[in-house]
Amino acid sequence: MTPDRKLEWDWFPGRVPENVTLDETAYLETTYSFELFRSSEPDALRIGRGASIYLGVMFDFGLAARARVGDYTLMNGSRLICDASIEIGDHCLISWNTVFMDTYRVPVEPALRRPQLEAATQRAPRSVGADVPARPIRIGNNVWIGFDSCVLPGVTIADGSIVGARSVVVEDVPPYTVVAGNPARVIRLIEPGETSAVSYSTIQRV
Amino acid sequence: MTPTGNIGQQQSPPVSSAWTHGPLPANVRVGPNTVLTADYAFKRFRTKAPDALVIGAHCTMDGVHFAIEAEGRVTIGDYCYFTNAVLLCELELRIGSYVMMGWNSSIADSDFHPIAPAERIADAIACSPLGQGRPRPPIARRPVILEDHVWIGPNATILKGVRIGQGAFIEPGALVTKDVPPRARVLGNPAQIIGEVT
Repeated sequence: MTPDRKLEWDWFPGRVPENVTLDETAYLETTYSFELFRSSEPDALRIGRGASIYLGVMFDFGLAARARVGDYTLMNGSRLICDASIEIGDHCLISWNTVFMDTYRVPVEPALRRPQLEAATQRAPRSVGADVPARPIRIGNNVWIGFDSCVLPGVTIADGSIVGARSVVVEDVPPYTVVAGNPARVIRLIEPGETSAVSYSTIQRV
Repeated sequence: MTPTGNIGQQQSPPVSSAWTHGPLPANVRVGPNTVLTADYAFKRFRTKAPDALVIGAHCTMDGVHFAIEAEGRVTIGDYCYFTNAVLLCELELRIGSYVMMGWNSSIADSDFHPIAPAERIADAIACSPLGQGRPRPPIARRPVILEDHVWIGPNATILKGVRIGQGAFIEPGALVTKDVPPRARVLGNPAQIIGEVT
């Protein structure tokens, strides 16, 4: 990142917002990822050591949004719809077209959406802002999320778990568990193995 | 409805003016205060029929992909808000007012190819560079109707022949293969009713 918060390789003429902390060893492909970033939290987003945020990731953040992307985590084309908190741990592999939403942004009752849609047309840039309660999402360490999957509000996915492609995760996932399906169901358990030994040696080598 | 809608012109563009350009095709009618963005909006807009796409007033079509084939017709009501939705139309999409479509959601009113194996071979040949304009076999297509106040979550897909009743709530990632009653809340693949919207 340059002193004026641009990226040397960026094709998009944007800047990294002031309230985003990008570790000097992390890779952010483009500031286009912040086109829908509206958070005014002082410490809104931290991207960890060695993390990679590739093209297509969109931080669609409301005013009070706060998120963390852990060390060595890879993200590719994800949509983070965040009005409260999304925490993603270390060594996570997040595949393309995944959706993490801690809020629906709109009330489920259609009559209440009507005034919001009318108000949206008065805003520039347009957005559907809503006061519906958000429920934080937590993704542990060493989690792998398959492509096109959705993680819905309030969900916690514990360490070491795998979410199969095109899953919709509506409830918490225990540690070292493979889930898949829409809605996602437990498929099997996996052996943790010597995870701590591997992660420490990796950090020391790099 | 008057043809005064603008494409990519607003006090401040919804996403980024860098992605917003291109002429509005002559057979698209857009109501006042409706905004369309994205240079790929009409990349697969293949119909030349008059009024093939009619969008009402006060809509936001942010990064929406209008893939409308020669015989396709799409109508969209007022105050709709679509984010990067993909509309695949070979016949008819009838969308009411106050409808929301989330990021990367899609509607298709066609199977695009036949089911029977022999017909699929014929279709593959007809679609190939060697097809030389030979006719494609008949393909199942049925209109999709979204009534007013429907909400469609991100990554959800609506297939041909589906009618979604007024105020229904389609959860993210749902694959909707059959009609959804008004005010139902559906989830899953295939989508199942999980409750009501209240």
